[in-house]
Amino acid sequence: MREAITVRNLSYAYPDGTGALEDVNMSVYEGERVAIVGPNGAGKTTFLLHLNGILRGSDGQVEVFGKSMAKVKRGEIIKEVGIVFQDPDDQLFMPTLFDDLAFGPINLGLKEEEVRERVKNALLTLGLSGYEHRCPHHLSYGEKKKASLAAVMSMEPRILVLDEPTANLDPRSRAELIGIIKELNEREGITIVIATHDVNAIPELVDRVYVLNKTVITEGTPQKIFSDVELLKENNLEVPEVFKLFEVLRCFGYNCEELPLSIEEAVEHLTRTVGINDGHFHLHIHEHTHDEVRKLRSKYEHH
Amino acid sequence: MIEYPEIDRYASLDSPMHRFDPRAKIIAFLFLIFSIVLIPDLKIVFIGLFFAIFLLILSRIPIAFVLGHLKWVAMFVLSFFVILAFTFPGEEIAKFYFLSITAEGLYTGSLITIRAFSAVILIFPMIGTMRFDTTIKALESLKVPNSLVQMLMFTYRYIFVFADEFQRVWTAMGARGFKLRTSLYALRTIGKAMGMLFVRSYERAERVYRAMRSRGYTGNPKTLVEFDIRRRDYILAASIIGFAVSLHIISFIGVV
Repeated sequence: MREAITVRNLSYAYPDGTGALEDVNMSVYEGERVAIVGPNGAGKTTFLLHLNGILRGSDGQVEVFGKSMAKVKRGEIIKEVGIVFQDPDDQLFMPTLFDDLAFGPINLGLKEEEVRERVKNALLTLGLSGYEHRCPHHLSYGEKKKASLAAVMSMEPRILVLDEPTANLDPRSRAELIGIIKELNEREGITIVIATHDVNAIPELVDRVYVLNKTVITEGTPQKIFSDVELLKENNLEVPEVFKLFEVLRCFGYNCEELPLSIEEAVEHLTRTVGINDGHFHLHIHEHTHDEVRKLRSKYEHH
Repeated sequence: MIEYPEIDRYASLDSPMHRFDPRAKIIAFLFLIFSIVLIPDLKIVFIGLFFAIFLLILSRIPIAFVLGHLKWVAMFVLSFFVILAFTFPGEEIAKFYFLSITAEGLYTGSLITIRAFSAVILIFPMIGTMRFDTTIKALESLKVPNSLVQMLMFTYRYIFVFADEFQRVWTAMGARGFKLRTSLYALRTIGKAMGMLFVRSYERAERVYRAMRSRGYTGNPKTLVEFDIRRRDYILAASIIGFAVSLHIISFIGVV
């Protein structure tokens, strides 16, 4: 598999001297979906800014499809990597949605028909057709969030970087946006990098997780990351509720090695267990059950 | 709630002014405005004012909406009127204690007042009959300097964001018991809140700039426009400009 993003020994300090990133190493493969998690102020946004050359490391530190960001022209980078920022009011800066979606393609130097075509497609993908002439300040937050993704999609990047795509959204808009991101990955093979605090979205949304706290603490599948309690505690992270529930079930004697992380996995797991045990499964209370539940609770207390 | 500064609230109506090509409209109206403002004769300026009102009625923008905006202009302009009436040297027609009103003062004061009202009234059929983003695009295609166009564009986009931001700060202050009084404490608090708003705008500007650069901003953004100028627009623009010119011809040869 080809490496889409390669980061080697990347460090960054703010102008006032405080270190934001120290010796970050990361590889994201083409077509992969990767999450970056970490506490507030861990440098996630600063890191993302390196991925399309807004901040530039020195030669060889950040490479996209094998090309060093320090050497490549800006126009080349923005064609490959699109960033969707967290606050849609920062992202949508043109008077109308059409102008905003056309902004990127025009800057890529495309012909007018091509620009119009791309705007139309991006609106279609995000379910925003008919919104061309709306002003951003007349949109709801959910619509603005989708519009900012559309404004990046109209540039047709091969790598999509999203900063907190699901933050502050209502359940329906959140589900919709997660669906769209997955579809972009599955149907068009776009590589996805997401910085997020939304742990319940992670199992559904990504294949691999990086824990970033100034430097990369560790990396692995969601299963591996969520099973490491010490790691989670040290980095102010949470596990999905389904995962916790099955841990509780385990205290009551439910037999499972690998805890499910999402509802889908839970259904799968239950079906399997019931299948093995002739149509049902058993829970019971021993004297040590309560102790185990108590231990479990203290495990997830963030103090 | 604070009101949004929506000059283009009635842009979706339909009228000859709404159908007027944006570029031709801007040129014709600017010409007319400058021409009225430069007329030295009060009677002819009145003709200009009536024509302005005629165009306003033609545009079907509700008069109440226009009057709501005009009251701010009135406050400003009428103070000029009063000052000029009392201070302009000339023939004295009335006297209050040590202050006297002169005929020349009244004449000049009225001239300036009527010119100002005509100009402001003309703004409405000019930019109130199209969406503001259309106005910006029209200016862009009229080759107005790009940095000016960008300033207008971002002002228009972010004025609403800042209005909301100010509203949130104001609500948060109210929620913690702040009342606006004329005390040093209240003024100081407002000063601090405004200061925070400035800091926030600065930070937002930085984030917006990043978002722009990440989509290839190099300093000269272009937009795609579809304007379609027809014969009707040429005729309308020519008649407005013709009217503006004839005002000056009349004033010059002194027919009225």
